[in-house]
Amino acid sequence: MTPFSPTRRTCCPSLSRIRGRAPATLEPVHVLEFHQVTKDYLNDGEAVRAVDSISLEVREGEFIALAGPSGCGKSTLLNLAGAMDFPTTGLVLLDGVPTSKLNDAGLTRLRRSKAGFIFQSFQLLDTLTALENVELPLLLAGERETRAAALAQLRNVEMETLADRLPHQLSGGQMQRVAIARALVHSPKVLLADEPTGNLDSVTGRRLLELLRQLNQAHSVTILMATHSLEAIAFASRILHMRDGRIEELQPSL
Amino acid sequence: MTTLRVFHRLFLRPLVHDWLRTSLTVFAVAIGVAVVLAISLAGRAATGSFLSSVESLAGKADLEVTATGGVPGSVVAKLITLPRPLKVEPRIEDYAMAGKEMVPLLGIDLVADAAHGTAERGNLQWLEKGDCVWVSPGLARPRGSTIRLQLNDHSADFKVCGVLNSAASQRGGLIVMDIALAMRELGRKNRVDEVLITLPKQSTLSFSQWEQILRRALPPGVSVQPYGAQAKANRRMLDAFRWNLRILSYIALLVGAFLIYNNLSVSVVRRRAEIGILRALGASRRLIGAGFLGEAAIYGIVGSALGLVLGRFMAQGAVGMIAATVQSLYLTSQPAPISLTPSLILLAFAIGIGVALVSAILPAREAARVAPVEAMARARREYEVRIAKLRHLLIAAVCAIGGAAAAQAPALGGKPLLGYLAALLLVAACVFAIPAFVVGFASLLSPLVRRAGSVEPYLALRTLTGSLRRTSVLLAALATAIAMVVSVGIMVGSFRETVAVWLNNQLQADFYVQPAEPAGVDRYPTMSPEITERVAALPEVRAAGAIRTYPITVKGAPATLAGADTRVLSRYGRTAFVRGENSKSIFARLEAGSSVAVSEPFAIKHGIHSGETLRLPMPQGAVAFRVAGIYHDYSDPRGVILMDRNILLKYLPDPGISGLAIFLKPGVEPDAARGAILQACAGRRVTVVSNRALRTQALRVFDRTFRITYALEAIALAIAVIGMAGALLALVADRRRELGILRFLGCSARQIRKLILCEAAFIGILAILAGFVLGVLLSLILIFVINKQSFGWTIQFHWPVAVLVGAILIIYASTLAAGFYPARLGARLDPIEAVREE
Repeated sequence: MTPFSPTRRTCCPSLSRIRGRAPATLEPVHVLEFHQVTKDYLNDGEAVRAVDSISLEVREGEFIALAGPSGCGKSTLLNLAGAMDFPTTGLVLLDGVPTSKLNDAGLTRLRRSKAGFIFQSFQLLDTLTALENVELPLLLAGERETRAAALAQLRNVEMETLADRLPHQLSGGQMQRVAIARALVHSPKVLLADEPTGNLDSVTGRRLLELLRQLNQAHSVTILMATHSLEAIAFASRILHMRDGRIEELQPSL
Repeated sequence: MTTLRVFHRLFLRPLVHDWLRTSLTVFAVAIGVAVVLAISLAGRAATGSFLSSVESLAGKADLEVTATGGVPGSVVAKLITLPRPLKVEPRIEDYAMAGKEMVPLLGIDLVADAAHGTAERGNLQWLEKGDCVWVSPGLARPRGSTIRLQLNDHSADFKVCGVLNSAASQRGGLIVMDIALAMRELGRKNRVDEVLITLPKQSTLSFSQWEQILRRALPPGVSVQPYGAQAKANRRMLDAFRWNLRILSYIALLVGAFLIYNNLSVSVVRRRAEIGILRALGASRRLIGAGFLGEAAIYGIVGSALGLVLGRFMAQGAVGMIAATVQSLYLTSQPAPISLTPSLILLAFAIGIGVALVSAILPAREAARVAPVEAMARARREYEVRIAKLRHLLIAAVCAIGGAAAAQAPALGGKPLLGYLAALLLVAACVFAIPAFVVGFASLLSPLVRRAGSVEPYLALRTLTGSLRRTSVLLAALATAIAMVVSVGIMVGSFRETVAVWLNNQLQADFYVQPAEPAGVDRYPTMSPEITERVAALPEVRAAGAIRTYPITVKGAPATLAGADTRVLSRYGRTAFVRGENSKSIFARLEAGSSVAVSEPFAIKHGIHSGETLRLPMPQGAVAFRVAGIYHDYSDPRGVILMDRNILLKYLPDPGISGLAIFLKPGVEPDAARGAILQACAGRRVTVVSNRALRTQALRVFDRTFRITYALEAIALAIAVIGMAGALLALVADRRRELGILRFLGCSARQIRKLILCEAAFIGILAILAGFVLGVLLSLILIFVINKQSFGWTIQFHWPVAVLVGAILIIYASTLAAGFYPARLGARLDPIEAVREE
């Protein structure tokens, strides 16, 4: 698909709506599309290519594992996918919306509605309780009734009873569950997970991956997960191997 | 060497890297040191000139002979003719106006000096030529020129017969004339102000034996005391004043100390993981603790060096203000040059480094305690602070009770030490109560802002309670500075209002006549008594009441003895007595002769109550008077003893007057009356001031007196605002991860900016609320304890609404302004970078 493909055209009417008020309403074919995407970073004045000419399409309901050694560009790809960053060249479409056409406010609005993030080190806000952490994306989006939705998400990840605990009162696994609930509370199109089991022991990690698979299968949550772990890779429906900023091979789940 | 290298890498580099925060902290220390130094330098210069002009002119004598109203000529003659080898030097010490400058005037016996060989022989030739004076180089009058001097109610031209070259005269203006000329020109009626006695160098008699001999030889009412006793009393008084001022300047330093503590605490918190790694790599607890103390020492050293330069400049501005206060409240003085001595330089460094190190003790201890493995330690510690808030509240209550108890205690050694302790305990109570206050405020406001759907204020409140430790320290610093502004504002405002009300009551006459040479607390210029008769005879005048004042020493402390026309006061005046007694009956007792009334500061200073007996050193010897009443007075902090003028004339028969209050007949046009009064005073250099002009003048003097106080509080506030900016910068740096996550969760740059501004706004509100409450409580201590014990004035509490509202608006605007740059930084933060750093 080229930048002038029908998908792009279908997305265009919604672009103005994202800039103005709300994200696109027309359903694109793919949740996430990368078209010849390159991302360069400046390191001590020298350009370093983190992502090199990647083209990729992610369908709704897919569970993709992004495997590869450290520094191969997995996190950069996730950031580009989640509208956290612009590509240097090429086009990234999140739910049909080209991220490079948006300003910072537009990107924020797109991210708010379409992407959810989970991180290796959980990244919960220390000052907020589990419930308040989960409510946060809704509050930032300007929603008023947030409690019920947040509690429902905590119930989904079996953390409802610990809703009033502060992060430091939770175990690693519990914190990551809260992080998942927070990432899903606003019903994003895609869940972007960066080494979600990296800080967990194997048992807790496995339980978490099972939870992700359950969410993927039962609720059709699209997941793009960067990981080193072979065990985590095994849970994905598609595996992408990255090396030096390129996707080397695409293969179905083991 | 290795330790230094480690220190350089781990502590110095971050300081350079965080240059803006480092600069703000250093600047806060510098201003704190500068204020203390400036007040020391300026205080010494403003009061030092007084000491030099009195002490160095006096030469080196052993004893001084004084008497209320002056030492009679007969006593001087007796001293000179005593069959003892004594050096006897009668002196007149007064002031003269040379142009617009008030210059000390010294009358000495030049004939005797010449005879003793201490003066130039040539001087005698000059003396023969008539009115001859010697001037200091500062007056810039060459030998042979003419100088016009205003002395009491007349002015006269004098020949400049020489320019003084002694070290004493170099330090300011000085006029020397022969004592006979001085007595004539100042209308001393054969009395000198004091007689200095120098004992023979090789004497078999002891000092006290000489004192006894002289006492026996002199009539009652003349006192003999070791030379310098008067100056010592004055110095004690000035020391107390400078002590109070110094305490005020230390508040700026206290605010600076809070900020160093805050900065280092944040530094420790931020670098916990790093410290953990260092510990794991083998760094000892001592090394870590010493590292943080070293960091503080750097703030102290650089801040002190900068403070030295700043303080020197600030002293230049402060000296005029302090001199104005000294002149209004204590003594006539001219500011001396500011001299930065090695001891003051050492003091500045000791203060700067000392405060920095003391502020760093707790953070350094905390850093040293960091275990090699630290995970969620920070969040847990913040949580512990939240849990401990009730314990802190209890400590706050104990401090508040202690403060209230200390406020009830009397002065110690004439100083309101326990009053200051009470103030300090109240500040401590406020500091300990702040965590509970923040939590209470946030839990009250959070539901409201959530209901309103504003996420930024909600998150800001959660951040404040979430990082309670850091918030509390910052709030304590700001609240202390604000409390200082509020308390001093209320105290000065209340004082001003009290004085204004008192002036309204006290100044009932339509016009006041005074010698053109302005009076001061320690200056007693006089006018010719015939002015009273001439003015009283005017058809426009209903009554004219004269007053005569003298310096008097009671129990070693200087005061003013006043003789007033009590009949006029009783009929037309409105003197307010402390216990609300009827002024007419008290003035009737004064007129009867055996009673006096004393001013409130005098009564408090000497512990005298109504009905008690007061023994006054009169020329005829000690005379006992009954204290008929204590009246409110704000004109003289040293205290006034008021008696009927006719009674005073019995003891001191000099008919000269110090002032005249004129009451016009009803319906008389003031302008016409003024013309008639001026005509009646023709030939005399006097000023005729209307009631309104005198009130305005008095309040102008009042405002001038408190200018230094306002300046000090403004500086403390500036430090707090700098601290606020620094703390908010630290907040952004400290929360990079959190801000980054927020961006990942859908928070826009604008929301980040708003969030930080909301935090600044809430910190401002909390600091203002806490500072206001603390300030009001401190103002009560200032008004009813410290002021009462220092000066003896009763001040009615008054809300200076305009001043307070203005100050609070400025503070709030500054707090918000301090948040703009950090908010901009926060909004520009790269979220990917911020989250990856963790």
